Formats: sequence, C-alpha cells, structure tokens
Amino acid sequence: MNVPTTAELQDLYYRMLRIRRAEEAIAARYAEQHMRCPTHLCIGEEAIAVGVCAHLTESDKVFSNHRGHGHYLAKGGSLVGLIAELYGLAAGCCGGRGGSMHLSDLSAGFIASTPIVGGTVPVAAGYAWGEQRRNSNNVVVVFFGDGCFEEGVLHETMNFAVLKKLPLVMVCENNQYSVMTPLYERQPARDIYQIAAAHGLQAVSGDGNKVEHVHALAENALAAARNGEGPQFLELHTHRWPEHCGPNEDDELGYRMPGELLAWKQRCPLLHTGRTLADARVGAEILLALEQQIGAEIALAFSEALAGPAPALASMERHVYV
Amino acid sequence: MSEILTLSYGAAIREALDDGLARFPDMLLIGEGVPDPKTIFATTQGLREKYGAERVLDMPLAENGMTGICIGAALAGMRPVLVHQRIDFALLAMDQLVNNAAKWHYMFDGKQSVPLVVRVIIGRGWGQGPQHSQSLQAMFAQVPGLKVVMPTTAGDAYHFMLDAIADDGPVLFVEHRWLHHVTGQVDKDRPAAGLSRAARLREGRDVTIAAFSHMTIEALKAAVVLTEHGIEADVVDMRCLTPLDVDTVARSVAKTGLLLVADCAPEMASLGHTLISRLYQRQQNALKQAPRLIAYPNHPVPTTHFLANHYYPGAERIAESALELLDRRPLLDSVRRQLQSDLAKDQPDRSFVGPF
Repeated sequence: MNVPTTAELQDLYYRMLRIRRAEEAIAARYAEQHMRCPTHLCIGEEAIAVGVCAHLTESDKVFSNHRGHGHYLAKGGSLVGLIAELYGLAAGCCGGRGGSMHLSDLSAGFIASTPIVGGTVPVAAGYAWGEQRRNSNNVVVVFFGDGCFEEGVLHETMNFAVLKKLPLVMVCENNQYSVMTPLYERQPARDIYQIAAAHGLQAVSGDGNKVEHVHALAENALAAARNGEGPQFLELHTHRWPEHCGPNEDDELGYRMPGELLAWKQRCPLLHTGRTLADARVGAEILLALEQQIGAEIALAFSEALAGPAPALASMERHVYV
Repeated sequence: MSEILTLSYGAAIREALDDGLARFPDMLLIGEGVPDPKTIFATTQGLREKYGAERVLDMPLAENGMTGICIGAALAGMRPVLVHQRIDFALLAMDQLVNNAAKWHYMFDGKQSVPLVVRVIIGRGWGQGPQHSQSLQAMFAQVPGLKVVMPTTAGDAYHFMLDAIADDGPVLFVEHRWLHHVTGQVDKDRPAAGLSRAARLREGRDVTIAAFSHMTIEALKAAVVLTEHGIEADVVDMRCLTPLDVDTVARSVAKTGLLLVADCAPEMASLGHTLISRLYQRQQNALKQAPRLIAYPNHPVPTTHFLANHYYPGAERIAESALELLDRRPLLDSVRRQLQSDLAKDQPDRSFVGPF
C-alpha cells in the first residue's frame, strides 16, 4: 500500500479541515432560518470524501447522496455555489431548485447528489457505461451509506456493473446508522463488502477515519477500475457526529451505546492526521495558518453568496420538459 | 417525390428504431427480450444483427436499476431506448422514472438532460389478466417532466419514435398491443410535427369524438357506421398526453357542441376526465349537452374470457353514446346491428390464436 508523503498528508489535512469548518459554519448559521432546507452534515466522515477524491482528475465523475457536502467540496465543487444553494439563491449550484440534498457542479465533475437512498447508484453506473463506451479512461465514483446497501437497486446495479466491467468505484460509508436505527436492527451480522465481493466486485474494507488508509485503498481501487478490471467496492467504517438531519448533536436521544460517540470523536480524522503531521515535524504554526486561510475563505464565501439575488419568480416553470 | 410506405404499426416502430440506430450513433436499444427470437412482437427484429450486440441488447431482470443505468448513460451522452413488454413492469422502475428521469433537468437547473425513451406496451385480451394488461398511462402523465405519447396510427408511430429518440428529455412511448397489426401509411418525409398535438383523423359537423390510442380505431369504426345514417363525427386522436392538446378539441366542440371522450384506461383519474374538465372550464357554453366519457371500469381485468369479454367498451358503445347525445335513439338498433361482431373481445382479429 502506498503511504502518502508528508506534503500529500498535509494537503489531505487541509481538505478535510476545509470541509469540517464549512459544515460547522453552516451549523452555526442554520438557526437563523435563512437556510430553509434539510441539511445532512458529514462532520466526522471527512476522511472518506477527501481520501477518495484526492486521486480523481477533473474529468472523473462523482455521484453522491443526501449527505453530499463533503463529497461536493472534495471533488472541487464551488463553495460559494454550495452556500448560495443552501440559502435558495439564484447563484446556488442548482439555482436554488435543489437545496442541500441536490448538488451539482459539472465544471468540477461532480454530477449530482440526490436524497432518495440508492437513487444515484444506478445512474452512476450508467454514467460509467457511457464513459466506457467512448473509451474516455474516466472513472465514476458513487458514495452511499450502509443503509443504501439494503436497497434492491444497489444490488441490481452491482450485477450489471460486473457484467459490463464498468469503470465504477462504489464507496460505502458505513457509519452504522440509518437515521437513528443501528445496523444490527437492519442487517444480519455479515460484512457488507463480502456481499459486494460475492456479486463479483473487487471489494475491500478499511478504516474510514484514517485518511492515509482511505487514500491507499482508493488509489488501488481507482487504478483497477481505470485499467478495465471492472467495478470496485470500498467499505469504509466511520461515524457521523451530528444528528441525521440538522445542525445539532443528538446523543441525548440515546440511540447510540453510551460512550460510542465519544469513542468515535477520539478517532476524529483531523485529530488523527494532525498527530501524524506533528510526528512528521509539521509545526503547529503551519496548521494554524491553514485554519486561518480556511476561516477567511469561508467567511468570504458566505458574504459573496449572500450578496446575490433570489431566483426570479418567472423562472419557476423553467426546465420542465413538455 | 416522397416515398410512402404501407406498414403495420409494429413494423413502423421497427422501421423507426432501425432509422434511429442509423441516424444516432449514441442510440442504444435495450430491454428484456429485445434480441430474443420473438423480438418484442417483431418490433426489434434484425436490429441486433445490423447494429451489433453492444447497441442492441437484452438486460438483467432489474427494471429500476436498468432504468437508472439508462438515465446515467443518457447523462453521459447516450440515447437509450428501453423497452417494457408490459407497462406493468414499468411500475418496478417508478423511482428512477419519477424521481430521476422526470426531475433531473429541473432540479439541476436545466444544465443536464436525460434523452431517454421508455417504450411501454399496454393491451388487452387473451387472458392477459390483472397484471399484464393494465392501462396506467395517466399515472405517468401526472408526473411533471415526463413526456407521455400514445400514437395510434402507423405514421405517427414512426415519426413519434424518431422524435422521441431525438428529444433531449425523457419520453414514455405508450403502445397499445392491438395497434401493432393495424396497417397505415408512413411518409418518412412528412415534416416533423413534434410531440405535442392531437390529430383530427376525420371531419364532421355533428359530434366530437376525442379518443385515445386504440379507442381511436374504435371511434373511426363507429364513425363509418354513423355516416351511413347521416351523422358526421369529428374524430380527434389524442396522441400526446402531455401536454394535453385541449385546443384542437375545443375548436371541434365549438363547431359540433357535443363531446364524447373515449379513453382506453380505467375511468378513475383518467386523461379522459382531465380533457373533459379542461374543456368544460373553458367552453361550458359551447356544450349543448353534458359531455360523455367512455372508459374502462374501475376494477382489474379478470383473466377469464367469460368476464373479460364484457370489460372493454368499443365501437358499439361509442356509437350508442353518440346517438344518445344527438337524441337519435331510434337508430340504436340498426347501428348496433351493423357494429355487432361475433369476434370475441379478447381477440384483436380472426387470425389471432394466442398466446401473446
């Protein structure tokens, strides 16, 4: 397995931190009631988006789901476009028509996120089919959760993807919960990635909170998909810190085991990578400079987004096929 | 000089798919049974041999997944035509059709398109029963963003299919199985009409009959007999369900003052009801009498021919309703006699010996 260099690791840290701080900024402003759409934050899960997307070119494609902010930013989606979209403004990445659960930035190769669980999985495979048919050498990545693994359409898609040896990487972010229902109430005790392997995908599992680990697994999977070896499956274990939907934490509801959230917080991707960087003698002042750079970028992005107009009422009926 | 072919409706679809595959290098033809020896009632015959297994292909039994895959392929620049031999199977793909295909262009602000055609076959008869002969087109027509077309004539079948393939949005192409053997003229050089208008198939001053798909054939049969009794029906083929062309019907009603709608679907929440409602809201005063709707009953079709034979309304019922609207009841008996047939209603014609 290839280990990222210190410079690469510092870059991965920066990308994770940027997602974390963007999500925190969204959470902090959410109560103001101007972002009026459901948001599903990905705090705690940043390493997966960043570790996978670090290997993608601009022309590779990504599909995501309701919890898509991190994937969108990791693939290079516009931060201003994301924030404006949450506020329902015309400059939003979907013109305000989608909100947090529907994101798209074609210039970054982030094709779409949608909130019906499993909805983007076959679409991603179909996109990979299209890429394969024109010999583009692009890879398509689709992110989904452990809950999605229960959807029939995912298994239908795996069957066809293997049949056609599609250049597709399926990334299962196993955070153990579907909304507030634990995995053991939804699935029998067996490894998710092995079911994918039984479908004929090349499948591995790993620690989704260690970005260097994700980075290495993704590098292999993407290379294999690009080399015509067919679809790849990564099951990456992680945990979502905030509530399923909304800006807060909800540990007081008691659906997790006592101490579970705390244990996962101790496995924080940023904490872990920060320590590794410190061991590699990357000074605290460098990480602080990254913090400041990101803080300034996010503040600017909010003010830039909020300066824009609301969508014109006359645009309501546009873009319906009739 | 343009060449006018005489083709069955099914052959016209095959011809359009053939021309589509030739014209659009990115077109794919996919579906359960597309390349099998029966070739979807011969509508895909010879196409795999001509265009190869990469473009003309069967698919796993995974209607929803394959619809999503076709949506993704369409986003990536392909033009898939996906076939369901029964509309009933499209229900398995409702999520992808409704949540993705229909919405994609809108929810992503017009930046991406889904040039997808989904062929769905409706029909009746010969024991097709509750799960193989439903007429669910109104369910799909209700979804904003899905174009739903239901051509009746061979000429329209040819041109609508090519227009649907060329269209950048998702199109549901509804074929009534009993139309497949009906022959008509196909003028390949006919100017493009688009996927949005009804067609007047017969001129008449006395009563407007607006009909859908196979019921248009029944309406034309009724009109021929009515003519013999001096009654001229204006027959409008409602070949596009979205948008529903109320204008053409309104113009006809302005002339006749009487409206009879014949739908080939259960009466509840049907397109027939929508048409009547829109027309009434616009032109209440043009109607001399309350409009009539002839549609299927609101219960599943039983498989047994002893019952199914009484399920489907046809030309006879259309003619009876027209006579009632015109207050020409004394003609009922002779018109009935002329339209009466000993052909069972679960058979499209005498040559048919089943099974589908």
